Amino acid sequence: MRRFTAALFLLGLGVMIAAIYQHIDFSNTAVNAGQAINAVAAEETGAANFVTSVVLAYRGIDTLLELTILFTAAMIGGMVLGRRRVDAPRDPDAGFILRTGADLLFPLLLVVGLYIILHGHLTPGGGFQGGVILAAAFFLPLLARPGITLIDQRVVSLVEGLAGATFIIIGLLAMFDGKEFLTPLLDKGELGALISAGTLPILYLAVGIKVGSELAGLLAHLAEAEALD
Amino acid sequence: MDILDNNTILYIAAFGLMLIGISGIVISNHLMRIIFGIALLEAGANLLLLLSTYHEGASAPIIVADNIPTMMADPVPQALVLTAIVIGVGILALALSLAIRVQRAYGTLDMREVRLKLEQEISDEAGIDMPSSSEKPDDIAKVPLNSVVQQESGS
Amino acid sequence: MSLLVLMIVLPLLTAFLLSSIDRLSTFAARVMGPLVLLATAAIGLSVWPQLGDAPLAVQWGGFQAPLGITLYADQFGLLFALAMTIGTLLLWPRSTENQLRSSSLALLLAGTGSGLALSGDLFNIYVFYELMTVVSYGLIASRGTSGSFASTLRYLVISGFGAALALAGIALVYQATGTLNLAQLAQLAPEKLNNLQGFAAFVLMLVGFGVKAELFPVNMWVPEVYATASSRVSALLAGVVSKLALLIIMRLLILVFHQPEALTVLLVLGILGVVSGELAAWRARDLNRMLAFSSIGQLGVMFIALSIPGNAGIFAALAVMVHHLFLKPSMFLLAERWGGSIKGLAGAAKTSPLGAALFVLLSLSLIGVPPLPGFWAKLLVIMPLLALDQPLYYFAAFVILAAASLEANYLFRVVMKLYEKEPAATPHNAHATLDLATAVFLGAGLVAAVFMLIPLADRLDGIAAQASDVSTYIQTVAPQPLQSGGVQ
Repeated sequence: MRRFTAALFLLGLGVMIAAIYQHIDFSNTAVNAGQAINAVAAEETGAANFVTSVVLAYRGIDTLLELTILFTAAMIGGMVLGRRRVDAPRDPDAGFILRTGADLLFPLLLVVGLYIILHGHLTPGGGFQGGVILAAAFFLPLLARPGITLIDQRVVSLVEGLAGATFIIIGLLAMFDGKEFLTPLLDKGELGALISAGTLPILYLAVGIKVGSELAGLLAHLAEAEALD
Repeated sequence: MDILDNNTILYIAAFGLMLIGISGIVISNHLMRIIFGIALLEAGANLLLLLSTYHEGASAPIIVADNIPTMMADPVPQALVLTAIVIGVGILALALSLAIRVQRAYGTLDMREVRLKLEQEISDEAGIDMPSSSEKPDDIAKVPLNSVVQQESGS
Repeated sequence: MSLLVLMIVLPLLTAFLLSSIDRLSTFAARVMGPLVLLATAAIGLSVWPQLGDAPLAVQWGGFQAPLGITLYADQFGLLFALAMTIGTLLLWPRSTENQLRSSSLALLLAGTGSGLALSGDLFNIYVFYELMTVVSYGLIASRGTSGSFASTLRYLVISGFGAALALAGIALVYQATGTLNLAQLAQLAPEKLNNLQGFAAFVLMLVGFGVKAELFPVNMWVPEVYATASSRVSALLAGVVSKLALLIIMRLLILVFHQPEALTVLLVLGILGVVSGELAAWRARDLNRMLAFSSIGQLGVMFIALSIPGNAGIFAALAVMVHHLFLKPSMFLLAERWGGSIKGLAGAAKTSPLGAALFVLLSLSLIGVPPLPGFWAKLLVIMPLLALDQPLYYFAAFVILAAASLEANYLFRVVMKLYEKEPAATPHNAHATLDLATAVFLGAGLVAAVFMLIPLADRLDGIAAQASDVSTYIQTVAPQPLQSGGVQ
């Protein structure tokens, strides 16, 4: 009976979506805020990657908030999972291949992650993508050698706090200058050069470090969670 | 074929993902499947957002060596989806952490059993007998979606 | 430059740094949170008078609307931003185990709540709303019992479902208009969103944002969460956070979605919310869940008020919201020590006479006994409902009146128990001084409102008029018109 109701509901939903789809108008997709941004972004922010301009400049506050969501989720994750008991059973040690692979990959992942973060205003990528790679670099050894304390949770919480604070403080600096919060500062430089786009690369570095430390912390918490019986 | 141009296929994918996600949430009882249903639903919504100003043949909104493409894709949905994905990851991790704890406390991840045990715990804490099924506030369940979730746990 | 953004940013900054501060000095970390909230509340209050003449639009990052994100401050938004900040300050969570994390979460809640009330960008609203949701998961789970984890997880499932739907709604809006700026959407909506697509977007967003506003089909989380979270957190969620979600729906209704069907949907869901909530509250046998269900009923009344077209509806909804804002948190604070079965409350008035007296006062106002503010708030809803002279609106008025008699029935049942001569077998706990003081403070606000009824109503009417003034909104934000294909 329940499945029948569910199926009926889903069928109705499908019909509704089809009806809505019939009414969607595809003709005016060229007139939007994004195209307006494409027209002025190079001049206003100095970043060659316009998605970066949107993420860090035009919609910078959204990015700050999503960092805060990650921060909050990591904090709550730590709170919910709690500390593990000392005598709790551990996952078995990984094999030789994974251990060697983790050792080899660790420096490579660090370099790639940092590269992607630092070139976020020029090429596809940026703080989020690079940050995830950084987190993977720190998480891989944890998979290879369960129980290893590669990252001290206190250091992680310090780093993530400071990285987030850096983002906000850069925003506040603009206010001291009499501008609005998060207005890009510094010289915009030459379009396409590594050192260009003013404060955007610094913001992306803060984002990358924060995302990396949040995710690494969160994954470490999940890995540390006691194995279920 | 006329009906199946690229736009239609992409929209079918987006709405299809959303429908699969909703079915997962509505039909299954297992919390892990429900959580993955949410992830799928989010993926569908993200794809829908990306499609909102999709233009076939538009290039990435990046200027390479002063070569300005004739038509660049709209960067706004890309940035929005980036934000939405990160939010989704945070919430997914949180859901999994909570699921670990719930499994440890109640020994089950079945939505019906979790609900029953939760009711039991609340009632115990309040020092009253658990309301029998006839006294359960069934009134809050009259819309299809809701009634399904409710029945999941009630019956 | 406006200092208003500090109301949002400073709590976030402090929350980031709180664990580092704690390592330097535990005492500093303890007092830091409340101090920052005091400062941000002062900033908000200092901006308040100047908003009476003209609302304020701030562009984050200094980019021109609609390219950047707009912060739009009118007295309506600032009222709830202040309610969030001051409410968090009054209901500062106290948890022995997770004090540091709870403080961070409370700061984040205050900052995000203020941001949500003041945001003028559709996607920005979504992000603020999501952050507020995640923070409330943390606050609920911070109690640390298995019940609180389970109810958080069930709440998360419903919220996640709703949020994804809201995101799909935003996608539909952006597809139709190419903008996310609320002022520009207000300009474009009559032309581009007055169709089935716009209506679908509205329903999706209503379900999404309705989760927190305890909207009828997506409110199964309410009794579980309010029964398992600590009383202060329940008070915050029921009292303030639900109003912020409602505020978002109000803003969308005023600015973007003008379909008559939208109002009908709200009316029907509101009626269903009142009926289901009040009936369930009537059946509940412990105080926490009774209050939770009755809050679903009250939110239903607000949705009914919203469905009244024009300024009268906004005014009525605002009046009920502000009334509930004072009333529900103090009731939850009183319920802190009166948890458990209502039978067990027999004779509790002896141990805490002040609390019992306050409960009687709050109950009377909740039912709507004149001259208490609750009566006038309900009158403001019922009068325009009757004036509309349509069967469904008559029915809504009847439902509200019938709900009042149900409320009277179940609340007096509690009051009778409280004043029963024979005390219950288990001794009652007296209220914690701080809880009682906060509840008395909020109750005193309610009594004071009785004596300032006329100026208060004028003030609320002015705020409602400012909130429903679409042309001022558009002029203040002044979005540049979008041109077809900038680069093509």
